[in-house]
Amino acid sequence: MCTSCCGCCSALRPRYKRLVDNIFPVNPQDGLVKNNMEKLTFYSLSSPEKLDRIGEYLFQRASRDIYRRRNGFVVIAMEAMDQLLVACHAQTLNLFVESFLKMVQKLLESTDPQLQILATQSFVRFANIEEDTPSYHRRYDFFVSKFSSMCHSNHNEPELRDKIRVAGIKGLQGVVRKTVCDDLVENIWEAVHMDKIVPSLLYNMQNSRYHVKEADTPEPPQEEHADPPTLAETCMRELVGRASFGHIRCVLRPVLRHLDLHELWVPNQFALHTFRIIMFSIQAQYSYTVIETLMSHLDDNSKSNPKIRTSIADVLSKIISIAAGESVGPSVLEIINSLLSHLRLSVTREDPSDEPQAQRAEKLYQEALINALGEFANHLPDYQKIEIMMFIMSKVPYPALDHLRGFNGPGDVLLQNILLKSLLKVGTKYQTIHFNTTFPMSFLEPLLRMSLAADPDMRLLVQKILHTLIDRHHNLEKLLKPTVNIGDLELVLEKSSRPDIIFIRKHGPEIYRSLYESLEQANNTVENIEAVYTTLALLCVELSSEETVMEMLRLVVSIQDTALTNGSLSAAQKYNLHAVVVSLLVLIPNVVPITPLMEYAEKVIEARRNAGANHLLPELLVHYDPDVCLSPSQLGPDVLVDQVAVTESLKGAGFDVSRLQQVTPYGAGGPPGVNVGHRHSWVETGMRTSVADLNSFQVEVDSVSSSPGVQKKHPEEELTFESMKKLLSEPPESAKEAEEERRLQLSETFRTADFHDLVDRTHANNDILQNKLNEIFSKLSTGLSDGIRPPATPTPGTKQDNDPLHSNNPPTYEVLFPELFVY
Amino acid sequence: MEDYKFLFKVVLVGNAGVGKTCLVRRFTQGLFPPGQGATIGVDFMIKTVEIDNEKIKLQIWDTAGQERFRSITQSYYRSAHALILVYDISCQPTFDCLPDWLREIEEYASSKVLRVLVGNKIDREDREIPAHVGEDFAQRHSMYYLETSAKEAENVERLFMEIAAELMEQARSKELPRYDSNSPTINGRTTVIGDGGCCSRMS
Repeated sequence: MCTSCCGCCSALRPRYKRLVDNIFPVNPQDGLVKNNMEKLTFYSLSSPEKLDRIGEYLFQRASRDIYRRRNGFVVIAMEAMDQLLVACHAQTLNLFVESFLKMVQKLLESTDPQLQILATQSFVRFANIEEDTPSYHRRYDFFVSKFSSMCHSNHNEPELRDKIRVAGIKGLQGVVRKTVCDDLVENIWEAVHMDKIVPSLLYNMQNSRYHVKEADTPEPPQEEHADPPTLAETCMRELVGRASFGHIRCVLRPVLRHLDLHELWVPNQFALHTFRIIMFSIQAQYSYTVIETLMSHLDDNSKSNPKIRTSIADVLSKIISIAAGESVGPSVLEIINSLLSHLRLSVTREDPSDEPQAQRAEKLYQEALINALGEFANHLPDYQKIEIMMFIMSKVPYPALDHLRGFNGPGDVLLQNILLKSLLKVGTKYQTIHFNTTFPMSFLEPLLRMSLAADPDMRLLVQKILHTLIDRHHNLEKLLKPTVNIGDLELVLEKSSRPDIIFIRKHGPEIYRSLYESLEQANNTVENIEAVYTTLALLCVELSSEETVMEMLRLVVSIQDTALTNGSLSAAQKYNLHAVVVSLLVLIPNVVPITPLMEYAEKVIEARRNAGANHLLPELLVHYDPDVCLSPSQLGPDVLVDQVAVTESLKGAGFDVSRLQQVTPYGAGGPPGVNVGHRHSWVETGMRTSVADLNSFQVEVDSVSSSPGVQKKHPEEELTFESMKKLLSEPPESAKEAEEERRLQLSETFRTADFHDLVDRTHANNDILQNKLNEIFSKLSTGLSDGIRPPATPTPGTKQDNDPLHSNNPPTYEVLFPELFVY
Repeated sequence: MEDYKFLFKVVLVGNAGVGKTCLVRRFTQGLFPPGQGATIGVDFMIKTVEIDNEKIKLQIWDTAGQERFRSITQSYYRSAHALILVYDISCQPTFDCLPDWLREIEEYASSKVLRVLVGNKIDREDREIPAHVGEDFAQRHSMYYLETSAKEAENVERLFMEIAAELMEQARSKELPRYDSNSPTINGRTTVIGDGGCCSRMS
């Protein structure tokens, strides 16, 4: 070998070799011979073409010294190489770097930790140099492997162990820096590298204690003199920060695997810490990828312990907000959809035979998912929240009408429950501005339908959703319980805007009807009734216009009627309704100043108090003492809200009371347990006074057109047009089709109950009608036995004006109706 | 010195506590470390051997047997030229896990990797797996089979030497991983830095 002749014939040796030899002292303890090193540096600067040979020669010497275990000289050789590397210009470095890296590798291969650390330092120095000509053939495979191995050092001495680990981390950082910028050099993002780098960093991070102490907003630690955990964290941030879209998953996959294998999900502090770091360092536009990946990890874990799933979902809920700001377009719905499908999966997984503990764990998991959903929605712009609410609503299993009353499976009920909870969560984050944007038809309609679900808890949930969406002025807290002391509440009022008025004009009937029917449910708890009260009160406050007052009062009167006549409600429920009635009666004139009405309301309250009828006043109780509580009929008419008196007080305030006078009760006596019961619309009330003479004719045609299978669009529309002339406000057809079906259905199903109401109401015609009605009923019973009762869903698109139950014309109608079916 | 002709990567796998680290220590340093702690992650050793007057450098990656390090250890399989699957002949469970290990090797390692089954700790009196059972298993899965004792230094040298010889044979027959093929100088410029190049491509 060339080096063998170093002693005797040094004069014959090339100059660069002599220069290199001279930098080594006789005694390695003396260190690098500085003067001679300067000479060598000067030489290599002046003749850069020799640089590669110098590097090669230095490497050979060092190899030999390692072999002979003369580590002192090795250190000197490395130092010299470092100096040359820094001193020389970039363009000449290329070949020298080869020798340099071979040297580093050689040192890393040795078992001496000091040499390994030294090599790492040199490598980091090299990594920080920007080469202008990348060397495509250079491979970092060994370095990644070795540095990762160093990160896991298990040296006996803790101090040395930490040093080796720090060196390993720094080495990895160096490799990343060196390779990440240039796509043409080795692809550091390949799985083979990432699977080594990421777990190595995480392994060091998880040994840190401080993530347990404070999980919030980790601050980037100082890079210098750091302990392995902090350094690893810095390196992790850098790595994630440099990852482009295509590479994010390469980083995340090993992270998830590491967390799985090291069982770091439960408890999830470290997982959370890690993901926070990732979320804060990732380029913002990619952050939702993290969410997606985490979500698919949840998929992969669908079989595992609910605790693990809960933890993952919890992490998700805590980081999801960071991503929400950056999510756009389909990715939002994708995330929501994925969360919902997890919920569905969880619900279907739930087995009633499971142990209670397992069930509880599953519940926690669902809670965590719902939280995640809420957190995510919270950070989205409002218009997306509506979209999301509609989306969730569309996912609610949608039992057919006749199934709504408990015929659907328990899984569906659970899922409905869960989804409504999610909806509530999203709803609370939403700030309503205009009702018509908050409640698009496709959202309102299913929501109202759900408000009549068989399960009282579900109904309560729906009411809560309505509360949070309706309440714009934070009156919710104040109106949670019915009260007659409205003045104490200090309600925040604001004149409602035009769009809101239009909204309530359009959808009011439906909303009121649903609420009314909701109050009729026999399995209502006090909470249910209170919740409906709150909804009504909020509506009243938010839409405080004189126009809505009328409708509200009609509803109030109808509720009282139900409380008086409905046979299926318990006494306590009836008392509750009376209390709600009087609370609303007080609330209305407080919102829209109507002094006479206020006085009347006071009078009713006074009368109830005097009569000892405290059970007819708030607050609502579950049980009333039957000995003390007399029914309203026993107490006399003074304790009841008298429609005539209400009308008078409105007249006194200068209101047009024609609507109110002609009131038809909302659900008048429809037995609960069947999901029908609407028999009211704006049209009919408005028409009542003006088109009474038309009624007989009208009804005839209308009945024909509305019967199933005999749909006649044109005459029907013409007729509407006729009547419309006399009407001021006609809700659009679309909104009313559904009610109309139900109304028709109802009109024949519950005629009896109607009749009694009608009798009460139509004092004048009462005697004349009596005979006719008897006649009708006999006919009707035959008609019904003939099987004319229409199927659950009559033809949609039927006529919507004209009330068959109208006090003036039921005879005609009732007579005609059965005949219809004869044909 | 740096004049080796071949460089091979050998990775040891197997359950925790079967003696992987001890085998490596015995081979590279000639000692048996009593009370050797569990390996964390991956350990690395290097040893140059000579076969037919050719110097062969063996990079030995000694992986942790513990389940939790599986993600990092698996990443080392891929570039391996030879995999040594170790079990403890005095411990039935370590033998029962072998199919799992094979599945992992299937999944993560190169299909052409040289696989060697090693039953370690033959110095132990309480043998549970007879030699022929191990041999049968190795044969069924077309692996080489050897029983060793790191403590008594039995068959350890032979294990690695045979692996080196076999790998050299393979390399020669394919004429592929000639490390010195691109720089046939005498002063030891034999390898591409980082060494991932030729050899890993071969495997």
